[in-house]
Amino acid sequence: MSNYIVRFSLKQRIEHFVTMTTFAALCLTGLPQKFYTTGWAHTLVDLFGGIDNTRWVHRFFGVLLAVSTVVHFASGIAAILSRKIGFSMVPTKKDFEDAIQQLRYYLGMTDQHPQYDRFTYKEKFEYWGLVAGNVIMVVTGFMLFFPVKAAMLIPGQIIPAAKVAHSNEGLMAFFVITVWHIFNAHLNPDVFPFDASIFTGKVSRERYLHEHPLELARLEGGLPPDAHGHGGHGDASSGHGGKRVVG
Amino acid sequence: MKRFLLPLLVAFAASPAWAGIPAESEDCLGCHSDPDQTYDLPSGEKLSLYVNQEAFAKSVHGETLRCTECHTDKTSDHATGQLKFKTRREVTRAYYEQCKGCHFANYTKTLDGVHFAVMAKGNDKAALCVDCHGAHDISRPGQPRARISQMCSGCHGQEAAIYAKSVHGRLAGSSSDVPVCTDCHRAHDTTDPRDGALAARTPEICGRCHTDEKLMKRYGLSTKVVDTYLADFHGMAASLQQGKKKGPGVRLAAVCTDCHGVHDIEKADSPNSSVMAANLQKTCAKCHEGASESFPKAWLSHYEPTPEKAPIVWAVQLFYKLMIPFMVGGLVLQIALHLWRVVVNR
Repeated sequence: MSNYIVRFSLKQRIEHFVTMTTFAALCLTGLPQKFYTTGWAHTLVDLFGGIDNTRWVHRFFGVLLAVSTVVHFASGIAAILSRKIGFSMVPTKKDFEDAIQQLRYYLGMTDQHPQYDRFTYKEKFEYWGLVAGNVIMVVTGFMLFFPVKAAMLIPGQIIPAAKVAHSNEGLMAFFVITVWHIFNAHLNPDVFPFDASIFTGKVSRERYLHEHPLELARLEGGLPPDAHGHGGHGDASSGHGGKRVVG
Repeated sequence: MKRFLLPLLVAFAASPAWAGIPAESEDCLGCHSDPDQTYDLPSGEKLSLYVNQEAFAKSVHGETLRCTECHTDKTSDHATGQLKFKTRREVTRAYYEQCKGCHFANYTKTLDGVHFAVMAKGNDKAALCVDCHGAHDISRPGQPRARISQMCSGCHGQEAAIYAKSVHGRLAGSSSDVPVCTDCHRAHDTTDPRDGALAARTPEICGRCHTDEKLMKRYGLSTKVVDTYLADFHGMAASLQQGKKKGPGVRLAAVCTDCHGVHDIEKADSPNSSVMAANLQKTCAKCHEGASESFPKAWLSHYEPTPEKAPIVWAVQLFYKLMIPFMVGGLVLQIALHLWRVVVNR
């Protein structure tokens, strides 16, 4: 018998795909603008048909990212209001305890691996980092897209500051994704070479038991909520992805 | 014999300066020393056949060249008494090629120049070697330097008059610090300024002087102007537009001259300067249509962001300078610890 858990809904998988492609396109068209003195930047810009084209492609994907961010917020708020989902992504006290325990485990100070619920502290960190990053990139991006209009609303000096923020936040996001996300989704020995769950939506029950035991227990109704006492997440998470067992 | 000796003797006595110059050795000066001697060209123009021997003797070629080294085909003309030229310009154009024999490098450069390009398109007036350097009276170019701009003003009078009033032009007569025409436009491979290629090079051209610490110190000017320009949006866009030409629908990023002017460059604090604070809004609006009063503040006026000059920009810059290594370092450390534990578990 093989069985799996549906971890990500179709909407979430589409959102990831859109974010992934826009992020890649924005990096390819944005980083050459930051590192414009290098040879590879000129090669990339030429590939997009010159700097003017590159910037239009960048703006197109930037607007797409802005729209996807707004859609994500709006649907998230609507879903919370209609009680379809809960606050499973909100950082809690347990996340900080988990983080400390995880580090203690890595350092060999304990053999007790933290027991994770639907989202680990690492996933929450990356999610909120992305959300905050998106907001910064979208807001500063629009200032740079429409500097004349922006200067009518805000002091002029904000615009060069927005440029510094946009360029550095973008670089930081690039590093976080290439270092942290690529490690967790590809190079991490637990998932190597490729954690396909965000594309298929499915995770094997065996892996789920290992990675998200608290959520699995709640989904299967077999075990009481975890000892840290935030069982309130219980019915909230079930809306994200029901359990399906395939015979 | 008499026809030859008399003028020679007269000339010899009158101007000993040319005595013994190579040009003398071929007897040409015997005839060509009469200021009134002319030839009637078919165009109706009179071609002077006079060579000012004193001027030639003093010229750079006076001590080295004989007449026939440039005038190679004179003998046949002399035989028939007829010139093959119809206009004075044709005469000039014919001798243009003669310079190539010795000055091959500079001649080759002119082939890339705008004067050659317009001449190839049929403009008869386009400057040739002798138009700038002179013919029998060639002297070392740039002595004095201001002479170069005067030379160009012969054809480019309007530009020269504007330049003469600019911050550079006003000093050109008394100082060799300031640029003359050829410093920016080049001498032989003079760039066509109309397609934007010359403008695209201005950060480098202007930067040659404006990043020179010693030179700028004399005038109390900043040497950071090029770096701060390149670090900003215009500099980035312009760097990536290299090689691109102006054309319909193609607008190039602002370079030095778009804000500071071209021939009419003024001191940045002069009331007439296009980059003077009070005039900046109008200058920005040339490209940024509808620029408001606060818009020029989006440009840091070639200052590096400091707590005094641009505190917000400085603070954001500092934040990321600390944040990026902290963030990336933390994540890498956690990955390293994770992998270490994986190894230990095995």
